[in-house]
Amino acid sequence: MNGFWWSLVELSSGFLASDEREAVLGDILESGDSGPRAFFGVLGLVVRRQAVAWMNWRPWAVLMAVILPLGFLLSIVSHETSDGSAIYIWMYANNWDWALTKNPGFWRFLGETSISIFFTYLTLGCWSWVAGFVLGSLSRGMERVNGWLLCLILMLGELGAPRYFEYVIEYEHRAFGLARLFDGNRVVFDVAFYRVLFPLIVQVVLVALPALWGMRRARSGLKAGRFVHLAIAITVIVTLLEMVTHEPSFWLFVGPRITGLYPQPAFWNPILHVRRLLEPIQYWPILFLMAHALRKRKLKPVVV
Amino acid sequence: MLGEFEYLILAAAVRLGEEAYGAAIREEIEDATKRNCSIGALYTTLDRLEAKGLIKTAMSGPTPQRGGRPKRMVRVTAKGVEAATEFYATVKRVTRGISWEPNRAGIQS
Repeated sequence: MNGFWWSLVELSSGFLASDEREAVLGDILESGDSGPRAFFGVLGLVVRRQAVAWMNWRPWAVLMAVILPLGFLLSIVSHETSDGSAIYIWMYANNWDWALTKNPGFWRFLGETSISIFFTYLTLGCWSWVAGFVLGSLSRGMERVNGWLLCLILMLGELGAPRYFEYVIEYEHRAFGLARLFDGNRVVFDVAFYRVLFPLIVQVVLVALPALWGMRRARSGLKAGRFVHLAIAITVIVTLLEMVTHEPSFWLFVGPRITGLYPQPAFWNPILHVRRLLEPIQYWPILFLMAHALRKRKLKPVVV
Repeated sequence: MLGEFEYLILAAAVRLGEEAYGAAIREEIEDATKRNCSIGALYTTLDRLEAKGLIKTAMSGPTPQRGGRPKRMVRVTAKGVEAATEFYATVKRVTRGISWEPNRAGIQS
């Protein structure tokens, strides 16, 4: 069997449980099957396994309650993040003038902008990691399929997010008489790079990759006490709440009065204060990964 | 009542004894039937037989000749032997008095 077919066999066998995967690959090697026969054999097994798995309610629940909402929400936040930072990047990259460097105000604004963009990116990366971590924890043998499904939803979200924003703006215009479009930034998004390629890069680097990383981390398990598990569960819930309350337009159709854009009822203010207080918790994946790396380093056997 | 393929797997596993595992069973079935036996059909049928309690499977340790990969070893249970015996007896009963030689009355070529 040549390398091409073997890589297809390995790729498709990744959808099987690890024990079964090893036994199947061993059988194929031993039988000396031809490339196409081995590939279609494994593919047949994967299809049968998936057909059985999807007869259960659990994968459907994970798809409907986690993959679809978090995938679309992350796509929307990702688009919002990329569009927001694209304006500043365009301002510096497409309008660079060395004379500006002599202006102290330029450096101050550059510093403030860089910090703001950095934290926006960090937040998006952490949210995506947490979304992946939640998905990985709930997948139970469906990690590979769910990873692909999440990527598919993110891809659809990438196409759908601009339509979503158009719809929100149109809705706001009709319902509340707000301006339809703010065209001041049109010059930025007339450049194909900022309109098409940059959101895609942000989506891949700050959403898809951290989410897959989080899934992988969840799959490899966590050897820790009950207290650590409880702390992680609480931080995950807080992060998810931060995510869903971050995007005001996400709640637009639930109740315009609690979106933050419009007059808010009194009960919403304390919620916003609590949200602000809990904001630092959303960066917990950084601490978690650092603690994990340190622990791994500590446990590494020393070769004498 | 067993299916035909289930019976073939049980028979192959009993014939192979201690050496019954995925690839060996597959080879045994292909040799006997002169037909392809797909990995998908084999593994899902092994699962079904195990769920019915007719076989027990376990992963072996790593095997050097298979690139260090384990084998899924198969052992037929007493219930499996009983089911296969019953299937064979049924086939024998239903075939009694019939000759499958061509050119006999009732058999069209």
